[in-house]
Amino acid sequence: MNSITLDNTLPRVFVNERIPGSEVWNTRVRFERGNYYLVEATSGGGKSSMCSYIYGARTDYEGRILFDDTDTRSLDMKQWLRLRRSALAYLPQELSLFPELSARENIELKNSLTNHVPPRRVEEMLERLGIAFRADYPAGRLSIGQQQRVALIRSLCQPFDFILLDEPVSHLDPENNRIAAQLIMEEASRLGAGIISTSVGNHLNLDYHFKLRL
Amino acid sequence: MISKILRKNTSGARLAGFVLSNFIGLVIVLGGLQFYLDAASIWNDSDSIVNSDYLVINKKVTSGNLLGGNDSGFSDSEIADLRRQPWVRNVGLFTSSDYRVLASIEGGRNGGRGMSTYMFFESIPDDFVDVSGSEWYYRPGSDEVPIILSKDYLTLYNFGFASSAGLPQLSEGLMSSIPLKLRLTSEDGTRTRTFNGRVAGFSNRLNTILVPLRFMEETNAELGGGEKRPPSRLIIDVSSPGDVAISDYLSAHDWETAGDKSASSAAFLLRVIVGIVLAIGGVITILSLFILLLSISLIMEKNRDKLHSLLMLGYELREVGRPYAVIAITVPLVALALALIATLCMRSFYMTPLSGLGAHPAGIWAVLATGLIMTIIIIAINLLTISRRVRASFYTSRH
Repeated sequence: MNSITLDNTLPRVFVNERIPGSEVWNTRVRFERGNYYLVEATSGGGKSSMCSYIYGARTDYEGRILFDDTDTRSLDMKQWLRLRRSALAYLPQELSLFPELSARENIELKNSLTNHVPPRRVEEMLERLGIAFRADYPAGRLSIGQQQRVALIRSLCQPFDFILLDEPVSHLDPENNRIAAQLIMEEASRLGAGIISTSVGNHLNLDYHFKLRL
Repeated sequence: MISKILRKNTSGARLAGFVLSNFIGLVIVLGGLQFYLDAASIWNDSDSIVNSDYLVINKKVTSGNLLGGNDSGFSDSEIADLRRQPWVRNVGLFTSSDYRVLASIEGGRNGGRGMSTYMFFESIPDDFVDVSGSEWYYRPGSDEVPIILSKDYLTLYNFGFASSAGLPQLSEGLMSSIPLKLRLTSEDGTRTRTFNGRVAGFSNRLNTILVPLRFMEETNAELGGGEKRPPSRLIIDVSSPGDVAISDYLSAHDWETAGDKSASSAAFLLRVIVGIVLAIGGVITILSLFILLLSISLIMEKNRDKLHSLLMLGYELREVGRPYAVIAITVPLVALALALIATLCMRSFYMTPLSGLGAHPAGIWAVLATGLIMTIIIIAINLLTISRRVRASFYTSRH
């Protein structure tokens, strides 16, 4: 997949509202593979909705979303699930970790599906993000910031053309923000992938090619 | 790991509740069915000569008959009226022999005693006799004639006469192979013919000695007095042997059914009772299906977010549904296995007394197939529900 295009896309709840100055909604915006995008929004601006639409978890929008030239509304569940294993990585804002599983098991849950990252590399990422010593704790007992780092590693455990990061560093200090950005960029540049990161203030520390206001 | 996540909230008690109720439902259905199949042979298999839907009727013998002498026969108008009844499909007349019959068995080669007895013949139309055409065939002019005996006669001989007179008991098969010498003599003793009788079968619904109608017509014409007597017995093909209208009609005319009329009404009753039992078992089975459906749906509803998260990671629909499918497949199979075992145990209890009543055990395949089909339906409905629930959790719930 080389591009994601939002063509006159608009969340249905916004249909009868005026949205001044959005560079994403109700216009045509094209995310290219290999580029890094920052989507800045105010709270309630619909950034999580945008991620859900692109990731196929919600369809309550007007307009079209295209993967290359394919309208995503024509994809069936099986095709979506295949894309989620091979082309689209996603770090949701709500993280969606399984609290009863350990941090390591949560990562393994994704990695065993894709066999993408060797175990040594997982350990290295845990190490670099400073959560290796908590790897065998149930995810539910970790702090939000620690959970965010676990979910980040999990989202990198697959091949992708684009990675969607929904407020990936909202609970991280500047140092961990820098390490997270580095890890994401390492994977993205290795795969030649695009990065779409959203933020309401605390940006993921990357050199973005494009900044869009939602 | 998926099972570990998704089996959470599984209630062992609810599943046990399903196994128990499904087990009870299946045992009632399968046990009832097996019992019916086993017991039905008491009435159905034991008389292949005459269909159980046939009734034999005669007028009651009263002292009036004795004095008046001639009134035990059915008049033409009575027969015509009977034919008009809605429950009558066909009426056959009994024709009696108009001559004397002496039957004898030759003594065996080892010096066994020969026996002889006076007897009589009766005939009914051939379409009332369920013996294959070649067995029940008399070629005009031939000296061999097939005979159907009442089973009661054999019983009387075996258990009444033979045991008290020190004679050997005879089985049906042996009886059929013994050549019977028949000597037919006209009433005035002037004309005589001899035949070889061949026992073609035994009936416990016909209290008579039956010969083919064609033979009867020929011998009556040759040896009889030429006088036509009204039939004293009728055989009726009825649409439903248990019908109350039949017994009402018969008692209104002071007629009675001969042979074991209890058989047909007992068979009918058995069918009704088994029908009720099967219906109850069926209802319980359906209720148990809902218990399983409900408990699986409940677990899946509670785990909806987990299902959604797994699909968000890219797990296949089938993989996500598998832990529930395993429950939906194994649990009903366990219930079926238990129900089959219980049915077989039950069967071993009732089979001994039932065999005493003359039942032949029916195969268990029908019951096995029924149980399997019911279980497959239960499993299929559950798998369908699981698949729908998995698909429903594909989208974010606020959607």
